[in-house]
Amino acid sequence: MNQYEAALFNDKKFGFLIYLFVEAIMFLTLFATYLIFTPSSEGPHPSDVFETKSVILSSIFLLSSSGTLIMSERGLEGKQLKKLIPWLGVTLLFALVFLGLEISEFYTYVQEGYTLSTSSFLSSYYVLVGLHAAHVAFGCGWMIVLFIQLKRHIPHSLYIEKYKIFSYYWHFVDIVWIGILLVVYVRYIF
Amino acid sequence: MYIPFFEKHVPSDVIAAWVSVIIIGIVLATYVIKQNKWSVIWEYMRTTHHRKVGTLYMIFGFLFFLRAGVDALLIRSQLALPQNEFWLFQFQKYNEVFTTHGTMMIFFAATPMLLGLMNVAVPLQIGARDLAFPFLNAVGFWLFFAGGMLFNLAFFFDSAPAIGWTGYAPLSTSLFTPDVNSDYYVFGVQISGLGTIFTALNIIVTIFRHRAPGMKLMRMPLFTWASLITSFLILVAFTVLAIGLYLLMFDRMFDTKFFNGPDGDPIFWQHLFWIFGHPEVYILALPAFGLFSDIITTFSKKRIFGYPAMVISIGTIAFLAFTVWVHHMFTVGLGPLVNTVFALTTMAIAVPTGVKVFNWLFTMRGGVLRMTTPMLFSLGFIPSFVMGGVTGVMLSVSAADFQFHDSHFVVAHFHYVILASTILGIFAGIYYYFPKITGYQLNEKLGKWHFWLFLIGYHLTFFPMHITGMNGMPRRTFTYDVGEGLTATNFISTIGAFLMGIGVAVMFYNLFITIRKKERVGSDPWDGRTLEWTVASPAPEDSFQPMPIVKEMDPYWYAKQRGEDLETTDEKLASPISRDSIIPFIMANLLAVLSFGLMYGWIWLAVLAGAGVFMCFIIRAFRDEREQYYGKGEDGHESV
Repeated sequence: MNQYEAALFNDKKFGFLIYLFVEAIMFLTLFATYLIFTPSSEGPHPSDVFETKSVILSSIFLLSSSGTLIMSERGLEGKQLKKLIPWLGVTLLFALVFLGLEISEFYTYVQEGYTLSTSSFLSSYYVLVGLHAAHVAFGCGWMIVLFIQLKRHIPHSLYIEKYKIFSYYWHFVDIVWIGILLVVYVRYIF
Repeated sequence: MYIPFFEKHVPSDVIAAWVSVIIIGIVLATYVIKQNKWSVIWEYMRTTHHRKVGTLYMIFGFLFFLRAGVDALLIRSQLALPQNEFWLFQFQKYNEVFTTHGTMMIFFAATPMLLGLMNVAVPLQIGARDLAFPFLNAVGFWLFFAGGMLFNLAFFFDSAPAIGWTGYAPLSTSLFTPDVNSDYYVFGVQISGLGTIFTALNIIVTIFRHRAPGMKLMRMPLFTWASLITSFLILVAFTVLAIGLYLLMFDRMFDTKFFNGPDGDPIFWQHLFWIFGHPEVYILALPAFGLFSDIITTFSKKRIFGYPAMVISIGTIAFLAFTVWVHHMFTVGLGPLVNTVFALTTMAIAVPTGVKVFNWLFTMRGGVLRMTTPMLFSLGFIPSFVMGGVTGVMLSVSAADFQFHDSHFVVAHFHYVILASTILGIFAGIYYYFPKITGYQLNEKLGKWHFWLFLIGYHLTFFPMHITGMNGMPRRTFTYDVGEGLTATNFISTIGAFLMGIGVAVMFYNLFITIRKKERVGSDPWDGRTLEWTVASPAPEDSFQPMPIVKEMDPYWYAKQRGEDLETTDEKLASPISRDSIIPFIMANLLAVLSFGLMYGWIWLAVLAGAGVFMCFIIRAFRDEREQYYGKGEDGHESV
């Protein structure tokens, strides 16, 4: 990456950082919404709804996907595709498993009669956790695009740029999940 | 499938709108075909250049301003006489008209026109060659365009929202407004708000990273400073609004329980809305303050008085903006302690604002004043704005607010401040920057007519409203009784509103004949002080070649005083790469289509449009404008 490209990359990093700031405010507002409405005076109590097993499982997969992404990132500088591709693949796999667990979690809750419109607690729960899941799903699509970009042989400096921006996004999504764990689940599960 | 429009009785104003739009459409189409202007339209649909995007912002902001202005005239016509039955603007129709007036003016007229001026002027003022992310800039504009168009479409399907520009819950939830009307509000504002956030982000990165060599932060023109701080306000305020609308959308579409039901809390909507809404007032006012600062220095031939104090006061106002939102909710019943705290923070705003007013006055003191149109608007602004500020301090007394609340006194107050700062600021900005946008200068004589008609009309409209409000006239009501002593004041208000309308018509005529005459002006028609006056008019696509070196505030002015040219450097700075693209246009409009599908329950359409939006993301990723500039080794970038 030459000086010119580095300068443009810094623009992009700075811009994306601001974008993540916007996302952070979004999630903070939703956290506040959740805190205001939980537990609600009517409808089920959070401790009746949440299932410990699926929360722990999905957390393990999502949080370790940050680690596997860092492993993959190590293959970025020297263009060591043997390191980059498998670890990025594992990250994608973990993300997909997380999504599957989320979907089955939501499905179970709905089966038990805990829907979006049951109470204000469940409304704020689904809106917050659902938006986060949407971010994970978007990230999965992004990873697939990154794979295709590898096939296309774009300039390596540009690939580094695209990859790094994605990794900031992915780590951010993980941090939000930690927030969700602490604010949404932990207080009512343990 | 439910087809809107044909299943219900269509009111005559909607028919009139359809007829006029079809006629105007035919006239425009014949003009375009005859003059063969397709290439221009195609060029502007694909452009990512900051001046052109800024021009688009101005054009559509101005069109929406005209529509919102017509709404205002309809409101005033209905209120001109007691028990009036003007056309059909009573009851529900009146609610729709004041809702669209407020929403359009705030979201689709004032904000975009200011963003347009920022787009045009900020890169030129700091010596940048474009905004940091030209593609994103186009996305931001087209999102505003799509949101505005979607919102306007509501009227043509006789589904204009009727919930006030604040969209207060529970009225805005599906419990009380189950029709699509309120959906137009939710989706229109949401989409355009997203665009505003992107543009703000872009402006921050541009200002921090693309200043000319030597342009320190404390050497920047005040409009740039105001744009920077405003952009931070936008990031926080519009994001909170986005979440508020997101929750409201869920309440309306999926029957969640945020704002109604046994646990739902309508006050929560008010908090979210005003955490956005109050900073929004400063999002509108601060850029105007910046414009006035630059204009007053230029036409006083003096450096701004107390530059650091001006910067600090902008920052202080921005900070205080987030501490005062509850003053919109004094009568909600949050208790005396909360009210007192927010009363005090509200009063504190008067301090930095006062600093600014005195600095403008001291800038003019002993200066060589030139009474051009932009200067007249700035001079008209100062006393008008101070009057609005005084009533603001009156309203901040929470005990007294119980008397003023929801009366025409409040209407008078916020029109006094917002019109005086934002709208006069935009007019001043249009006259001031018109040469940089088009290369022509607006007619000064007509400009002065515009100014005087507008200013007199403004005071004639809103000053009597203080009295009307004190006499007990509530806002948002479509009529009053004969014996209530409100007739004379209301009638005067209506005359004033039409005077303002004539003023705007004069401006429209001015724009028309100026563009028609095609008399070019040079790069520096106003004898300016800052870098934007060193580049050609209209601003070219490759400005600042070679780069000027900045060594002081108002560099161009002092260089002219010394009779020298600005020092330049051949050093290549990394400049943003821009490439024309139709993707922003498609992406934003697909989002509007998606909203349309959701609103009317045509899920297939929503899914198709959503897939289209994601396709745009992917296509964009594979056609990145950086691809052709990267990976060419150390010196492969001469031609950028």
